Amino acid sequence: MATTSVELPRARYDYGGDEFIFVELDEAMSLEANFKAMAITSALREENVDGVIDICPSNASYLIRIDPDRVNPAELVARLEGLERTVQPLAADKTLHTRLVDVPVLYNDPWTHETLMRFRDRHQDPEASDLEYAARINGFDTVPQVIDALSGAPFLVTMIGFVPGLPFCYQMVPKERQIEVPKYVRPRTDTPERAFGFGGAFAVVYPVRGAGGYQLFGLAPAPVFDLSQSLADFRESIVFPRPGDILRYRSIDQTEFDAVRAEVEKGTFRYRIREYEFSPAHFLADPDGVNNELLEVLYR
Amino acid sequence: MATIKAAIPGVFYRRPSPTDDPYVREGDTIVPGQTIALIEVMKNFNEVKAEQGGTVAGFLIEDGDEVTIGEDIVELKD
Amino acid sequence: MSDVLVRKGGLHTTVQDKGRDGYYSLGMPPSGAMDQYSYRVANMLVGNPDGAAALEATYVGPTLEFTDDRYVAVTGADAPVTINGEPVERWSTLRVRAGDVLEFAMLSAGARLYVAVSGGIGVEEYLGSRSTYTLTGLGGFQGRALKDDDRLPLDDDGATPPAVGSTLTEKLRPAFPHVATLRTMIGLCSYRVTKDSMREFSEVPWKVTKDADRIGYRLRGGRLRFVDRKPPHGAGSDPANVVDLGYPIGSIQVPGGDEPIVLLNDAVTAGGYATVGTVISVDRDTIAQTKSGDQVRFEPVDLDTALAARRDRRDRLERARASLRR
Repeated sequence: MATTSVELPRARYDYGGDEFIFVELDEAMSLEANFKAMAITSALREENVDGVIDICPSNASYLIRIDPDRVNPAELVARLEGLERTVQPLAADKTLHTRLVDVPVLYNDPWTHETLMRFRDRHQDPEASDLEYAARINGFDTVPQVIDALSGAPFLVTMIGFVPGLPFCYQMVPKERQIEVPKYVRPRTDTPERAFGFGGAFAVVYPVRGAGGYQLFGLAPAPVFDLSQSLADFRESIVFPRPGDILRYRSIDQTEFDAVRAEVEKGTFRYRIREYEFSPAHFLADPDGVNNELLEVLYR
Repeated sequence: MATIKAAIPGVFYRRPSPTDDPYVREGDTIVPGQTIALIEVMKNFNEVKAEQGGTVAGFLIEDGDEVTIGEDIVELKD
Repeated sequence: MSDVLVRKGGLHTTVQDKGRDGYYSLGMPPSGAMDQYSYRVANMLVGNPDGAAALEATYVGPTLEFTDDRYVAVTGADAPVTINGEPVERWSTLRVRAGDVLEFAMLSAGARLYVAVSGGIGVEEYLGSRSTYTLTGLGGFQGRALKDDDRLPLDDDGATPPAVGSTLTEKLRPAFPHVATLRTMIGLCSYRVTKDSMREFSEVPWKVTKDADRIGYRLRGGRLRFVDRKPPHGAGSDPANVVDLGYPIGSIQVPGGDEPIVLLNDAVTAGGYATVGTVISVDRDTIAQTKSGDQVRFEPVDLDTALAARRDRRDRLERARASLRR
């Protein structure tokens, strides 16, 4: 039986003006809510409804963009309510075809450190670095312990958005082991490209340089967004991550960081990717066991 | 008296940065094309250039105030 | 193919069309002309097909020199227009010859100007659209706003426009009232804000700040209070924090309660701040024509009103088309 079983409330349906339908599966984050969002949105995608322009699974909700001249919003809501009742992502035989991906991260790197020091006046704890602050409020004694926790268990990509290619990732550990931090008191006006950030219970990699409110924990040497599509992993899309991907934010040292950067610059970098049939029900019943298997498959 | 008007809306600044001196002061003589102020809008600081020359009689807007399109910002005397 | 010489780029002039649909789930907004009505009429006036690319200029129009014979039309905000220094009509089919220079004087009302040229702006399509999305530098002309001395390609001109001098009647042009009314469907995460504050939200006039661009408009004028709660898991501890979710275009987020942000065509597609409602699609045209310092009000409406407004805009466009028929 599932050890972290979350009973979802009835979904809340609302209109985002005449061109969007917003469906909140839960106010709180949980893997159950995200599995439901992914299952409903993929079922809807298969139905190929005329007038549905974009289908965006989100963390504990989803958003549909429509052309209301082609599809009646109220009729579509009725259809979505039907999917809410029939879609059962946690059935024992339900699997998700996904990718396991190794994402190297230089935690506590000098570049994001330089950035975060420039914005201490916008932070909850101006005296500490973002990682020191996260360690303290999450009950860790040292920064390396937080890094071990973040690097130790994989994350599920639970939403793509904000700007092109930004993956919101939720760590695949029971709720009591989730790391949680607030967003900055006031957002920064600057964030390095490929910064590894954390806000609420979500990890992100910033695709491009710009504003941002998440705590800064490190820097990824490989991109998640490549407009030139010169890297092999970006041939089909300028955006690498997809909802449902399972990413492991592996802690690396400066030497490996430099080596990956060199490969990216040469255009030869490829992510380590393994295809995987993921069973949400199996995972919820034994998260640590499945995580061990995921890592074993990824580095096999 | 001739005036120089704001061509864009935003926030009006008389100095390139808070620690710098103003671009021009009362009594200064300015020439066409000279930068006399900045207007910040859409995350950019845009230079306000004098369309005509003259002597600055006075500023009609305070440093840091909001300005709208067509508003007089500087009064010139010949 | 020919070029237009951009003598002056203006403040922020970009190539835009109907927008780039189908990539919202990748985090990519549609972009496209902010005031779709003015953009569409501009194309009608030069005989272009509906989705042809045109120029959108914010606050300051560009100065353009033509290198061959074209039809041109200028719509949107109120700003005097000249060709070779001679005043010409706005919302009108104009004829230009090689060497003619189109120029704008200072804008007096509205915020965005549209310039359509027969044949359309001939930049490459990117993911099905010629719209510029400057945040990541894609689409349009080199993914950026025009600069002085750019050479902007035009597509071949096979257009059969209305007769030169055809002008859209005043009645069918947008108005630029002192306080713009934005019809809004209240909802999304409005439960985070107290009832009294939601009343205040739709009663007070909000002023457009300097931070108002194609991504979004930041407003100031009221102060909204949040309902007390224990933050749900994953949201973050600030009263405005929610578990990160998708943002509709036109949605209004309220990060600190005192500075609502209306997201527009280059919107960020998702984030973790509470949203309290969505401006209806038709009234994005209206907010697009407000500028820093102008005022807006949010008028609560329901879905039927929003759908009726869409029909009304379509009717107005058809009336415009009929009135301009050759």
